[in-house]
Amino acid sequence: MAERQSPLEPEFHVGSHGNFEHGVEILLTETRPGSIVQLAAWPGEEKKLMAAIRAVSGLALPDGAGGGLSDGAKSVFGFAPGKFTVADEAEGLAAAFAKTVTPAIGTVTDLSHGRTAIRIAGPKAEWVLSKFFAIDFALPAFPVGAGRSTTHHDVFAQIQRTGTDQFDIYVFRSFARSFWKALCHASEEVGYEVQ
Amino acid sequence: MSPRRTDTGGRIDRLKTIRFTFDGVAYTGHGGDTLASALLANGVTLFGRSFKYHRPRGLLSAGVEEPNALVTVLKGEVREPNIPATMVEIHDGLSAVSQNRFPSLTWDIHAVNQLGGKILSAGFYYKTFMGPVIGPLKGTRFWMFCEHFIRRAAGLGSAGSAKDPARYERMNAFCDVLVVGSGPAGLMAAKAAADQGARVVLADLEPRFGGSGNWSGETIDGAPAADWVRRTVAQLEARDNVRLLPRTTVWGYYDNNTLAALERVSDHKAQPAKGEPRHRYWAIRARSVVLATGAFERPLVFPGNDRPGVMLAHAAERYASEFGVLPGQRVVVFTNNDSAYRSALALKQAGAAIVAIVDVRPQPSAEMSSLAGEAEAELLSGHAVVATEGGKALSGLKVQRFDMVAGALSGDARSVHADCLLMSGGWSPTIHLASQAGAKAEWNAARQAFLPPKPTQNWIGAGAFTGSFSTVEAIAEGRAAGLAAAGGTGTPAALPTVEATPGDPDPAPVFEIKGSGKSFVDFQHDVTAEDVRLAHREGFVSVEHLKRYTTLGMATDQGKSSNIPGLAIMAEALGKPIPEVGTTRFRPPFAPVSIGSLAAERFGDLKPERLTPMHDWHLANGATMYSAGLWYRPMIYGLSGETVEQAYVREAKATRESAGMVDVSTLGKIAVQGPDAAAFLDRVYTNMFSTLAVGKARYGLMLREDGFAFDDGTTWRLGEQDFLMTTTTANAGKVMQHLEYFLDVIWPELKVHVTSVTDEWAGAAIGGPKARQILAACVTGTAVDNATLPFMGIVHGEISGVPVMICRLSFSGEMAFEVYSGAGHGTHVWEALVEAGKPFGLVTYGLEALGTMRIEKGHVTGAEIDGRTTARDLHLDWMLSKKKPFIGSAMMDREGLVASERLELVGLIALDNRPLNGGAHIVEEVDEANPHGSIGHITACCYSPALGKHIALALVKGGKARHGTRAHVSDPLRNRFGPVEIVSNHFYDPEGTRMHG
Repeated sequence: MAERQSPLEPEFHVGSHGNFEHGVEILLTETRPGSIVQLAAWPGEEKKLMAAIRAVSGLALPDGAGGGLSDGAKSVFGFAPGKFTVADEAEGLAAAFAKTVTPAIGTVTDLSHGRTAIRIAGPKAEWVLSKFFAIDFALPAFPVGAGRSTTHHDVFAQIQRTGTDQFDIYVFRSFARSFWKALCHASEEVGYEVQ
Repeated sequence: MSPRRTDTGGRIDRLKTIRFTFDGVAYTGHGGDTLASALLANGVTLFGRSFKYHRPRGLLSAGVEEPNALVTVLKGEVREPNIPATMVEIHDGLSAVSQNRFPSLTWDIHAVNQLGGKILSAGFYYKTFMGPVIGPLKGTRFWMFCEHFIRRAAGLGSAGSAKDPARYERMNAFCDVLVVGSGPAGLMAAKAAADQGARVVLADLEPRFGGSGNWSGETIDGAPAADWVRRTVAQLEARDNVRLLPRTTVWGYYDNNTLAALERVSDHKAQPAKGEPRHRYWAIRARSVVLATGAFERPLVFPGNDRPGVMLAHAAERYASEFGVLPGQRVVVFTNNDSAYRSALALKQAGAAIVAIVDVRPQPSAEMSSLAGEAEAELLSGHAVVATEGGKALSGLKVQRFDMVAGALSGDARSVHADCLLMSGGWSPTIHLASQAGAKAEWNAARQAFLPPKPTQNWIGAGAFTGSFSTVEAIAEGRAAGLAAAGGTGTPAALPTVEATPGDPDPAPVFEIKGSGKSFVDFQHDVTAEDVRLAHREGFVSVEHLKRYTTLGMATDQGKSSNIPGLAIMAEALGKPIPEVGTTRFRPPFAPVSIGSLAAERFGDLKPERLTPMHDWHLANGATMYSAGLWYRPMIYGLSGETVEQAYVREAKATRESAGMVDVSTLGKIAVQGPDAAAFLDRVYTNMFSTLAVGKARYGLMLREDGFAFDDGTTWRLGEQDFLMTTTTANAGKVMQHLEYFLDVIWPELKVHVTSVTDEWAGAAIGGPKARQILAACVTGTAVDNATLPFMGIVHGEISGVPVMICRLSFSGEMAFEVYSGAGHGTHVWEALVEAGKPFGLVTYGLEALGTMRIEKGHVTGAEIDGRTTARDLHLDWMLSKKKPFIGSAMMDREGLVASERLELVGLIALDNRPLNGGAHIVEEVDEANPHGSIGHITACCYSPALGKHIALALVKGGKARHGTRAHVSDPLRNRFGPVEIVSNHFYDPEGTRMHG
């Protein structure tokens, strides 16, 4: 099958940019997961959905709002009551879930093309993200694996912390290039590298 | 060496010379200097002209409260006015100019205003311009005549019109404890809170942390206070849980402990570093706040108190101790309290001669007398300064015996030669943020000051902010506040020891020395004591009215130095105690805020761009893009030399003759999933969807709750419980909100999930007589013949190895198909379709051709579904199901919504063969001189290649009943009048034979 086209392509300039005289403090990249799936449980069916997520992805979600985890290849986090985003390097996740998440449990929505996953990493990741989002990015408030629902430019976005200094941001594909440019712009003062 | 720079002392870097200009004159200063301290060191005494009278003014203060020395800073073409020289850090290349003077600061022609003192008193504008005036220039007309001259003669600096190229940013911060102010109290609070493990933000508006520790000359823990400050700041810098924000003014205290701050990131640099903003607006959400914002010293009100050379005592001490600058050589101190004695001593130690200390109190304490002796100053107790002398600089002053109880002067005035007069009228805690947080300040008779109110939000005060003016108290309160804010408890560790000049914190209740000549209360707005009394005589009793009538406390300094003296004078006039007169409530911002910082990154880029998957292809293939909401869509794919009309006519014609393709990825797409999805759609749409078969699509219409038409589109049933709803591009967000509202609030029992999948799919609509052949040439995995893919049918297949979903539906009126693929494959599929279409003459077309073909077909869009039209108005009443209720059904038959005189959709043909205009009115009789009698208006228009005529859709009274009649288009704004024929909105192929094949 044809390779998926990135919405960032004309603005995706690999290399170091901005004020990197004193080193690069931000790494930016597009993770390009093969699958991004939204799962939503009917009220009261959340535990069954979490069990289905574990069965399909092998990821055991913790209880609590915004809880999540990542094993590097697969990631999952709650972004609203009873609603979860799951990403996988491999394609076909939606089909796999469609077999496990029965209509009695909830719904499966394939967003593999519709969302763009941008990773920001480095010691200044919290600093740069704080320019966009009114979210407490400190580790105790936003632990590794957890997810948050928020907005950029008043447009819905989701963020998962996938490392101490690393965040994956899921934005609408049509807005992705605009957000990417803004992210690069905001990273200039600390120096950034696009990988 | 500049004339007033001391050889040693201060926190400036004498090894670093900085070159700058003021009013075009080149000066030098040192690292750490402000524009004020550097100019003062160069012997400059004249910094500005006053607001109204254009009196010469010098420095009053050394900080943010400065009312006089406002300058305009120039950076390239950009000019920023009204910046206190005391807050401008000099850098190489800094260029600043004085304000409100013509032709120069030294020779200001408007100084003639001083002769009109009584005329220009409080209420000048009201009295002069609101009443009738003799002759033709009455009331506002007189004002309009005078305004130009008044605006030239009065006012502050003028803003420039050049675009500001600087970068501004917004930051969000969260912390356990925000400490505002970094004097000894703030530093102790930050340290105590940080020691408890709390996340601390420490903000100070000055570039150097430490507040009074930088200039007080006191000793803390056996070392100079400035050394203790440096040590403490270094400890805080080393901690991971502390963020230090110098040059950061916390200017707003809002609900839920949200505070706003402005960080001046690079104003002090000749050039910002790459990517570095000029200002950063901080939105800080703090669990608790320590307010350690200190106190402002008050001026005394006496005749001539605004002459250059008269300044606040602590300001002079600060210039001497922090900047190594002597504001004068022969200094007189005029005070009602003890704190000025320390200032006198500091100036003496820095090298000035303290000629006299004039104290309104009859008997200063023995300790103060001793300090006066140490300063080698003549102590004139029970005296007051009654006049100052000099022109653009102080040359002397007059002193007279003063009875502070009676407020009376006696004896002969004595002249004293001095080039600097320091005054101290007591101290006012800087309670602005606490006041903004939502409570009324409380008067403290001993301190003669308003103290902070009881907290209504989670803040704790410390130091001078609370009225505790000594460093010992500040340190103790600071640590206690820091501990409490962090939720900690007291520690047994000893507090730092302080060696300080003793002094009584309570001033004598003296605010004004009455005498002849102007005594200024508000320096920035030229409000005198007599103005305040005039307001009282004219019947103003409320402090709020006093403020508005006299303008006391207005403008950039917001009365930081004038509020209390003004209140005191008003209280005396009213014969009431000060607390009964009250005080105005402080409101944000505490200090001026750049508009750029509030706009931050949204400056010049307010909206994000929304791009379809094929955006780059469109650009590469000659599309002229069109902004449609946030989306960018091709308007035309123009050939060389083509006009817009020529291009869209060519594109539409080619589509009707062979085939055309348009990017429809922008259509709103919402996944409606769940066991109740079909039932939900029955409620949402006016027509039935539960009867729709899987693999089929249906056109649907939505109404608002009030019965008006809301949106339309097709919805595809992909599975028993799985629908793909499409909406108009413009209404996608509104429809999504509409659905979520009904599911969350009205029908939470329905098991339905809605998700925006607009971005999941790339959409290409291919239509025309050859469309099916083109698909047949490139689609695999499914047939596309009429049996397999009937009208409104859906099939799944592949194009060039990529899965696609194809629905046969038409907006153009031709045999047409919408081909959906994953957005990441959108361009790949689009290019495959283009390639497959080449033998068939396929063209790509833009919004103009799309609009043309839909007008020819009489299809409605947002131009007709404009929020004021009903389904019947648009001849869509056939879609109003009688078998079920739906949103809007209860309200759609209201009398006004079914009235015969409503505007209804019709078609128009221009009979003069000239273009029609959107928005133009339709009238029955044309009367170009007096356009009237509108019966409707045009909603959309085009040149129709299919008809060879200029046509339009319109909403016209009577609608169908007027078909076949004639009317006129009347568009006086665009000077377009002419005859039209009213026809059906279905101009082209009304039977739909082309679409159905």
